[in-house]
Amino acid sequence: MSADHFAFRINTGSTEPIYRQLVEQVRRRIAAGQLVAGQEIPSVRELAQALAVHPMTISKAYGLMEMEGLLERRRGLSMVVAQQHRKAQPAASRVELLRPTLERAAAEARQLQLPAAQALRLFEQILKEGDKE
Amino acid sequence: MMRTETPEASAELRGVSLAYGRQPVLRELDWRLLPGQVVGLLGRNGAGKTTLLETLLGLRESQQGSIELFGQPVDALDDDCRARIGYVPQQSDLFEGFTAAQLLAYFRSFYPRWNEAKAEGLMSRWEVPRDKPIAKLSGGQQQRLSIIRALAHEPDLLVLDEPVASLDPAGRRDFLRELVERVLDRGTTVVFSTHILSDLERVAFNMAFMKEGRIALQAPLDELLERVRMVEGSPAELQALWQHHRGQVLRETALAGGRERWLLRLDEPANAPALQAVNLEDLFMELS
Repeated sequence: MSADHFAFRINTGSTEPIYRQLVEQVRRRIAAGQLVAGQEIPSVRELAQALAVHPMTISKAYGLMEMEGLLERRRGLSMVVAQQHRKAQPAASRVELLRPTLERAAAEARQLQLPAAQALRLFEQILKEGDKE
Repeated sequence: MMRTETPEASAELRGVSLAYGRQPVLRELDWRLLPGQVVGLLGRNGAGKTTLLETLLGLRESQQGSIELFGQPVDALDDDCRARIGYVPQQSDLFEGFTAAQLLAYFRSFYPRWNEAKAEGLMSRWEVPRDKPIAKLSGGQQQRLSIIRALAHEPDLLVLDEPVASLDPAGRRDFLRELVERVLDRGTTVVFSTHILSDLERVAFNMAFMKEGRIALQAPLDELLERVRMVEGSPAELQALWQHHRGQVLRETALAGGRERWLLRLDEPANAPALQAVNLEDLFMELS
């Protein structure tokens, strides 16, 4: 699979290191069943070129994904999605992956002293806007 | 060649001082660049980044301290050593009467490792006119030519002083790809000074912050993002937080009403509501 198809995205200017952003993206896609067991992911070199990012950052991300059981190394050097990820996780456990992000958003909503209903309305609205795209 | 346990530094500066008249620019600066490191050099305008890079390369004489490149004193480099260095200066120093083709032919004669295929490949990929006088090229084309000149002999130490200032975003991305594909791969040591922080984030694994004539801090960016936290509160609250989390106070800033803001570098990564994460721009504002 080419690195382009994979459509990894990175945000510069973030407080989250780039290697972390990559790990979390793969975690979410595996949870959603978009990436399934045995699927090959781009090589370090391919992804480094596609994203114009230092190859060490990519190998650090892949190393961590391997350690966490998201990916496994096939014979040779290519990495694939690990065996246990045959299908999407149930929504009940997928939603937990949102927790860290929402906890941050909740902390900021409290700092802004927003009523819960108003913050929730905004989240709902943002979700709908995404659906339209 | 002698092999030792610790790798020989590509560049090693010890106690380097330099002043313009009575204005000190470098103050007993220590800096070490190890083989294969890619270091982003950050500092405000006028912090002395260009002076530092020129001094490192031996283009300016320091008044105090020692500088070695690949283990040789910078004022006595042999030809082999000289041929291992590539430099893209901030101000174009190309011979303006030459054409691009003539310029490259001229430089080729100095470098045993000159890679003609690479130079030609980049010239066509980056669309630099070969037969126009350099003076007639646009700023962006001159900058590309200057980069090609610095990459063509496959240097082991590459010094980039604002190499992309006149390139558009597409040109910058092409340049970063070239770095990632063919330069970092060879284990080249790279120092990269630019104000375009997003470019640095992509390719510079380490960041060096220059302040008051010294390298105030150098560390991997990932580590800084994971361990540097901003906290605000009364001095007593901040003391308590710091006691709890342990680490080094990088900076203290007084705020209104007796409150303070501290920048902490924690010994271990930690997240808590009181610990505000920072991005590279925050680090630049606080540390340079």
